[in-house]
Amino acid sequence: MFIVRPVEARDIAPLTELASGLTQGVHTMARTPAAIERAVEQSIRSFASQTDVAGEESYLFVLENSDDHNLIGSAAIAAMAGSKGTFFSFRNDVIQQVSRDLNISHSVHALTLCADLTSYSQLLSFFVRRGHHSRPEASLLSRARLLYAACMPGRFADNFFVSLAGHTDANGRSPFWEALGRKFFQMDFLQAESLVHGARNRNLIVELMPHYPVYVPLLNGEAQASMGQVHQESEVPFQILSKEGFAADDFIDIFDGGPILEANKNALHTFKNALKLQVGASSSDPDPGSAQALVTYMIAPVRETEFRVISLQSAVLGPGQPVLLSEQQRRALNVATGDTIMCVPW
Amino acid sequence: MLVVRAIQKTDLDGLMYLATQVGDGMTTLKPDTTMLANRIDVACKSFAETIPPEQRDYLFVLEDTANGRIAGVSAIKSAVGLEEPFYNYRIGTLVHSSKELNVYSRMDTLYLSNDLTGCAELCSLFLHPDYRNGYNGKLLSKCRFLFIAQFPHLFNEKLIAELRGFQHPDGSSPFWDNLGRHFFKMDFDRADDLSSLGKKSFIAELMPRHPLYVAYLPKEAQEVIGVVHTATQPARHLLEQEGMYYEGFVDIFDAGPVLQARVKDLRAVRDSELVQVSVSDTPVQGATAPTLVANTSIHNYRIIVSEIASEHGAIVLTKEQASALQCPANGQVRVVPLNIA
Repeated sequence: MFIVRPVEARDIAPLTELASGLTQGVHTMARTPAAIERAVEQSIRSFASQTDVAGEESYLFVLENSDDHNLIGSAAIAAMAGSKGTFFSFRNDVIQQVSRDLNISHSVHALTLCADLTSYSQLLSFFVRRGHHSRPEASLLSRARLLYAACMPGRFADNFFVSLAGHTDANGRSPFWEALGRKFFQMDFLQAESLVHGARNRNLIVELMPHYPVYVPLLNGEAQASMGQVHQESEVPFQILSKEGFAADDFIDIFDGGPILEANKNALHTFKNALKLQVGASSSDPDPGSAQALVTYMIAPVRETEFRVISLQSAVLGPGQPVLLSEQQRRALNVATGDTIMCVPW
Repeated sequence: MLVVRAIQKTDLDGLMYLATQVGDGMTTLKPDTTMLANRIDVACKSFAETIPPEQRDYLFVLEDTANGRIAGVSAIKSAVGLEEPFYNYRIGTLVHSSKELNVYSRMDTLYLSNDLTGCAELCSLFLHPDYRNGYNGKLLSKCRFLFIAQFPHLFNEKLIAELRGFQHPDGSSPFWDNLGRHFFKMDFDRADDLSSLGKKSFIAELMPRHPLYVAYLPKEAQEVIGVVHTATQPARHLLEQEGMYYEGFVDIFDAGPVLQARVKDLRAVRDSELVQVSVSDTPVQGATAPTLVANTSIHNYRIIVSEIASEHGAIVLTKEQASALQCPANGQVRVVPLNIA
């Protein structure tokens, strides 16, 4: 069984091993042992914090195979993208140019450096081992973060975004960076990424990046074509989150032009369809072999500590209906009859 | 003999003929009778001083006194941009620097500006190919500087000249193709035509309003910023010798340079002098460097090139020259050497 849970101190070693599979410029997860340790400690503090406004908290989750306790992946959600500094992105703007006298009017696509996403909650650091990419557990890991937010709305903003790696070639060259960032940073894309540790909330960004709108028609064709294009390694999270209700229309990354998906929580499947139900009596053990059609759910206990997410095959659940769990599932979630759990149809 | 003089109402046919010879590329001299008649009307009122100085448009024609033919034209507009906005790009600098990364990027930028509003402008210079010899070209262009030197009170402190920007032999402009075209979706000639019809400001409405980093443009477009058309190279040289210089203003369409100067710094203003005229029938021996000689009348302004230099505050003119200048026998003329010493 796959289970998503908050990271613990004992995960530092396996996470370090996991990080060896990261691709630079693509994955935003911490990669050095020291950085991993910091991220784990921050997450433990965040889960333990008593808060009802989004702040510096960053919650790190791991995906574990409960059969062999292997870590398969990790994913994080930051309560507020810009808690440690303005979060910068390019906003897709349309500048309307009108001359009534010439009877000409057309719109020009421009990119404006903006801080619009600063107060959003940010999904980041998603990574799963090869072989699990296209499988349901990848989706479980990615969406578990949103289920946590749905259970603890006070800890997060009303809007969420995720920035996905943009198109780069086999050598890590980004056409968008070549046409734009390089002119201001005077260095290679990967070098810049490593200098800022993949962050977009650094002061040096506002020092170096253009303050005036970038007129898209002035960028070369290759750079224009790569705007909003997702890196092949980020194709899976792109699919998962698009299906969840995220849209990639308004913002792109300032470095590689990769898509930034964003949504209000009311547009997200997990928030819209989450049902708060109670665990049914253990006597009525589920009977998966019954004639009723089974539906997959993502479920989690609603409580401050020991957050857990698993998937569940169940008959269709309606308001007020008890959720029937197997003994193994009860153990995995550490719940008993009568406990409140959040259920989201897959 | 060739004389430059203030235009007159009767010059419409001659000017119209010249305009038909101009061809593309000159936005202020199109063969349109109504437009030219209007322009002559304003010019006559300008020389007659019946309209306010800032509305004036002084049009000069080069006349061949042998046959009465109009061989060339040039003009000074008193002030640009007062009726509709006058746009240029100003080349500016923005520095992007990060101490933390040890990066320092000095970036050239193009700012859409109206900074030259109110400046006087040299424009509409055209010399018929039959007359492109001797001193004619210089006379036709430089007459304007001597005019300004004689009537400096009529001009704002700054004078500008827009020069045609670089074009490929096929007439395409690398600057336009890589910038303006993206915002207009029409070719350069069409845009330039609209601009000549006084619609330049409308066109500017369609140009990007925000400063542009030059580095965004392809190299071939960057390289022609402030570069004149090959055929305009001699004109640029001439104007620079008269004290005009390029200071980072360029045309918004083809990035041709705008030359500018303070009126008081013009060579003709600094070096010209008023001298007494004496008329003689006998050719003076020891003819020297060619000199621009102009009368002092604004209503009937006339200017010629004479190879007789002035001396001790006086100049000797032939009868023909004196009559071409319509200058009284003991009158004064303003002189300046045609060329730089």
